[in-house]
Amino acid sequence: MIDHDAVPPAEDITRFYQPELARVIGKWQMTEMMVLLRLQPASGERLDHAPGQFLQISLPGYGEAPISFCSSPTQTDSFELCVQSVGNLSEALHDLRPGDFVGVRGPYGHGFPVEDMRGRDVLIVAGGIGIAPLRSLINYMADRRRDFGRVIIVYGARNPSERLFVEDVEAWDARDDFETWFTVDEPDETWTGMTGVVTVPLREVEIDPARTTAAVVGPPVMYRYVAMELLNKQMAEDDILFSLERRFKCGMGKCGHCQLNDLYVCQDGPVFRYTQLIGRTEAIEVWAPDEQKG
Amino acid sequence: MPTELVMPHEAVERFFGRLIDEGPVMGPRERVSQPGFIHFDWLSDAADLRLNYQTTTIPPKKAFFPPREVLFEFELTDPLKITAVREAESFTLVGVHPCDLAALRMLDDAYAREPAEACWPANRARARVIGVDCMPDEYCFCTSTDSCYSRAACDLFLTPIERGYLVEVLTPAGEDMLRVSDVSEATDEDREQAEAFRREKAGAMTARLDATPEELAEILESEEHTELWKEIASRCYSCGSCNTTCPTCFCFDINDEFDLGLTGGRRMRSWDSCQLAEFALVAGGHNFRRLRWQRVRHRWYRKFVYLYRTFGRPYCTGCGRCSRACTADINIVDVTNEIINRARERDRQGVQG
Ligand SMILES: Cc1cc2nc3c(=O)[nH]c(=O)nc-3n(C[C@H](O)[C@H](O)[C@H](O)COP(=O)(O)OP(=O)(O)OC[C@H]3O[C@@H](n4cnc5c(N)ncnc54)[C@H](O)[C@@H]3O)c2cc1C
Ligand code: SF4
Ligand code: SF4
Ligand code: FES
Repeated sequence: MIDHDAVPPAEDITRFYQPELARVIGKWQMTEMMVLLRLQPASGERLDHAPGQFLQISLPGYGEAPISFCSSPTQTDSFELCVQSVGNLSEALHDLRPGDFVGVRGPYGHGFPVEDMRGRDVLIVAGGIGIAPLRSLINYMADRRRDFGRVIIVYGARNPSERLFVEDVEAWDARDDFETWFTVDEPDETWTGMTGVVTVPLREVEIDPARTTAAVVGPPVMYRYVAMELLNKQMAEDDILFSLERRFKCGMGKCGHCQLNDLYVCQDGPVFRYTQLIGRTEAIEVWAPDEQKG
Repeated sequence: MPTELVMPHEAVERFFGRLIDEGPVMGPRERVSQPGFIHFDWLSDAADLRLNYQTTTIPPKKAFFPPREVLFEFELTDPLKITAVREAESFTLVGVHPCDLAALRMLDDAYAREPAEACWPANRARARVIGVDCMPDEYCFCTSTDSCYSRAACDLFLTPIERGYLVEVLTPAGEDMLRVSDVSEATDEDREQAEAFRREKAGAMTARLDATPEELAEILESEEHTELWKEIASRCYSCGSCNTTCPTCFCFDINDEFDLGLTGGRRMRSWDSCQLAEFALVAGGHNFRRLRWQRVRHRWYRKFVYLYRTFGRPYCTGCGRCSRACTADINIVDVTNEIINRARERDRQGVQG
């Protein structure tokens, strides 16, 4: 029964919703639409995220939104977020300057199962802004290189000017122990790499399906085609990881916005195994192609 | 067995009057601006309390989960300042029907699931609750959802009898509220009258589901029923009234409000509805429940499958509010029975053919 004398103080009650302060210590405009923010918790404490997890960032007055960590957890003095300007809050985040404060809550959700991936080959498939959470995983693997087998990176952007993390991409490309495949949908005169959507290079990649885990993040339209390509390579459905986007409000399995059938994407995901999504009618980007008709 | 006492008619007003003197009391009363319309609101006079009332439009969950509430206040100073704001005063919620008591326990469980939400239990801890039994109207179907006799989440429960109310004392807090002058011992005759009231209540229930909660979950899980959802959705306006009137709906939105001076404001939590088109919309225009039938389907599956599987009971109390509120005449009992009966019909044909 309820203990009527046990009403906790206000700060404890609203902790669930209340962000901690973090300071902007660096900001880089990566493309017209994208900024990279480097942040440090004002408390001095580490957030200790796993690759693929997200946090809820807020600017009081503008709201709150889920953003993936794009830095590796091996980078411990600060963390980074990459924000696309699409609306109210994200535009305001573009106006931040070093020294400004934001609110953060998290880390939340299930990220990439890095412990289960130890010793395995890892195939990264990134489309567009999907490279952000995957950069966290790739740089983590770079720092823990011996824990993993082959690292294969397939990254597709719409056009050369929309490619993100160009310095990281060059560093990955320069390593002998990473295999990289870069493509753009719409090449320009500067582009010397591959042309076409991300499945074009993916088709060429040779893998040992039994040893490989695939980590896939991109726009919703990408997932179904990538899944087909990976299944063609005889990969097991359980070894294919997708990070999904939904509308998030609480990030803690309560507000209902992110629900995918019986799953809460914010808690059970955002990273799911393909096996978890098969048969769930609301996993519309990876399954149930008939759902979107009339 | 809880202690059973009797509160005679002449003691009722005195009892509630004393509660009002002790602290805030919310209960069913006439809306000042709308005579005849009973809703849950603060009482300043025990004479305004209407313990004999038909299901309210808005459920009493609003006492613990208000339609809009402040989570914290902020000031855009450097560094930014965030201040928690919570109500701390204790109060008493009175006159809650069994179905709404069942709903309070459902939200206790839903919000307590790890990671536990904290506003709901903090508000619940502030309040004592007194339940009261009722007679159904044509929309009620609480015998189908196992909430007709719920005594969950309450400290005292009142059942009308000839000489007043039979009072079930369910917690020490309930015992605390009573004084010697309020109650006397219940006799077997009083208990028999309360039992007769419950029999009459169950007998008066005209609406019912044609399957048990478990059978219904299995039917919903066994196939897609897409055609039926499309038929229902063709009448739905996506107005969200079915959610805003539901005692077991607990989804919410979070939004910020600036003060006029733009130097500070507050973060607000408010009720939300999965029937609204933008509920699952994200940047870039992707909507993960774009079509109306997908949203209608979601409401049924959430209540009768997803939450049923998680918590072991349907997240529907049979209160009938969604059916009363729907201007498109989408009746939860009719729709659910249509699903059940079509599935059974198909099974029969499957067996024959
Ligand atoms: C797990 C996860 C990780 C993400 N990681 C990143 C990231 O690394 N970088 C990045 O730029 N974006 C990321 N997003 C998307 C980002 O959360 C949205 O773009 C952001 O919420 C838009 O907020 P806004 O206030 O700027 O837009 P608004 O002005 O609120 O609206 C613009 C559009 O965004 C949609 N939207 C509003 N609120 C949300 C919400 N809470 N979640 C999703 N969509 C919403 C609206 O439906 C509208 O279509 C991620 C989303 C999820 C779920
Ligand atoms: S109340 Fe009726 S019309 Fe409104 S959203 Fe619910 S089912 Fe649709
Ligand atoms: S779904 Fe309808 S009948 Fe069931 S609890 Fe909600 S409002 Fe009441
Ligand atoms: S974001 Fe609120 S339930 Fe997932």
